[in-house]
Amino acid sequence: MTTVRIRVPSTVKQGELFEIRTLIQHPMESGQRVDDNGRPVPRKILRRFVCTYNGVEVIAADWHPAVASNPYLAFFARAGESGSIEFAWTDDDGTLTRETATIQVT
Amino acid sequence: MSRRRPPWGAALAAGVAALSVGALAETFDVREPSLAPYRIEGTGIARPLTGRAGDPARGRAIARARTGGHCILCHAMPIPEEPAHGDTGPDLAGVGDRLSGAEIRLRIVNPKYVLAESMMPAYYRIEGLHRVAAGRPLLGAEDVEDLVAYLATLKGR
Amino acid sequence: MILFRLSHGLVAALVLLTTGVAQGDDRRPPRSGLEFVAPGLRQLQEDEFANPGMLWVMRGNQLWREPAGAANKSCADCHGKEAPENAGAAAGYPRFDAARGRPVNLESRINLCRTEEMRAPPLAYESEPLLALTAYFRHAARSQSMVADDSGAMTAVVARGRQVFEQRRGAFDLACRHCHELNVGKSLREERISEGQSNGFPTYRVSWQTLVSLHRRFQACDTAVSAEPLALGHDDYVALEAYLARRGTGLAIETPAVRR
Repeated sequence: MTTVRIRVPSTVKQGELFEIRTLIQHPMESGQRVDDNGRPVPRKILRRFVCTYNGVEVIAADWHPAVASNPYLAFFARAGESGSIEFAWTDDDGTLTRETATIQVT
Repeated sequence: MSRRRPPWGAALAAGVAALSVGALAETFDVREPSLAPYRIEGTGIARPLTGRAGDPARGRAIARARTGGHCILCHAMPIPEEPAHGDTGPDLAGVGDRLSGAEIRLRIVNPKYVLAESMMPAYYRIEGLHRVAAGRPLLGAEDVEDLVAYLATLKGR
Repeated sequence: MILFRLSHGLVAALVLLTTGVAQGDDRRPPRSGLEFVAPGLRQLQEDEFANPGMLWVMRGNQLWREPAGAANKSCADCHGKEAPENAGAAAGYPRFDAARGRPVNLESRINLCRTEEMRAPPLAYESEPLLALTAYFRHAARSQSMVADDSGAMTAVVARGRQVFEQRRGAFDLACRHCHELNVGKSLREERISEGQSNGFPTYRVSWQTLVSLHRRFQACDTAVSAEPLALGHDDYVALEAYLARRGTGLAIETPAVRR
């Protein structure tokens, strides 16, 4: 089970820049380590993150093995219309973790 | 022929008693299973554990290495290429002026003979320790000798 | 003879001096580990959102409401719908459990509730759910002062904990006190030595990239001095935990702290 934290302001003024913060629990296992018995630990990372605002892409990021576990990302968007902000993280094994926040533009 | 190693408590007591008069008055032999025996005379161990002098260049590497003695964890040392030396122990620059090779050797082998309350580990000891994970000393006899040889070269400041 | 008396006097003076210093140390208010960390980590700890330990706190909040076991009960069913009603309770562990005749820390308190009230299997020490619940309860007690019961039966437990704190161990022959009492503020290379206080546990360790319990931290210290670590939840670790609580009395709970 994946724990996700999202912070989006509930209301923003039209045209204003606002900050979006995300934190997701994930080991981000690089695939370059060995366990106590010398066997390689298989790679398991989140390889892509996408955030959309009313269907329009705000940010997309390809992540690589050097990203630390429990990745934190903060970025800005400009307030257009009220609606939903969607977040999606794609795992190496294809697992998709989604989260949605709503925003009120005044 | 001096007597065998006294019981641990007695050895410590001898160390403490000696400290209060400023010098170890006793001579005694220390023997632990699987370790080279050594003789403490006065304030030091005169004879190298291996019977011959160590290699200072190797000693310097051991002082640096996390997997070796890692002396810089606690001591400032004239090893400028390593950042962030510790400061829980004294600065070892010039230690070769302050102490003889024999005195340095005793302090690495088992500093508790010099100061029972010392925080510094005994690098050549396996007996009398509590909840030890591995049954071998922190350093081998050759490593100790290489360190002694290196530290003895640290003269002037 | 004069020399003898002189040295005797000197020894007496030294003894007085050292006890004076020791007592002084005892009276000095405890300092949180937060005072010893690099500014970046401090910032991460104090940022309620970015602090990665908060992921476990959130998970703990979910677990709080999830029914479990044959009794199909959740923590919330007995202890408060939204949040723990007695949020401060977590600041006061370990406590003496008279019925069981032994000290109980927060982890074992949670498991006693599971086995006896919820009729669920106990959670493994250091498992994600146990870390999450422990972090959640301690976070609920955040900014409250650490308190320690060192009266009655806990007196002996705290005294045993102090012995553990002062017992040299491992090939490095070091006791907790050698670093965390006698060399506080000094450095082991890039690491500044703190007082080894427990007010931020469970703590997120950046180098391990996970939340860790106090007992796992004890194990890491034991391993670092080349001592055989004790089992998580071992009586001596619980005693040490009780002594640290007594020693850190008055410090604000900072769970989840962030450390290197």
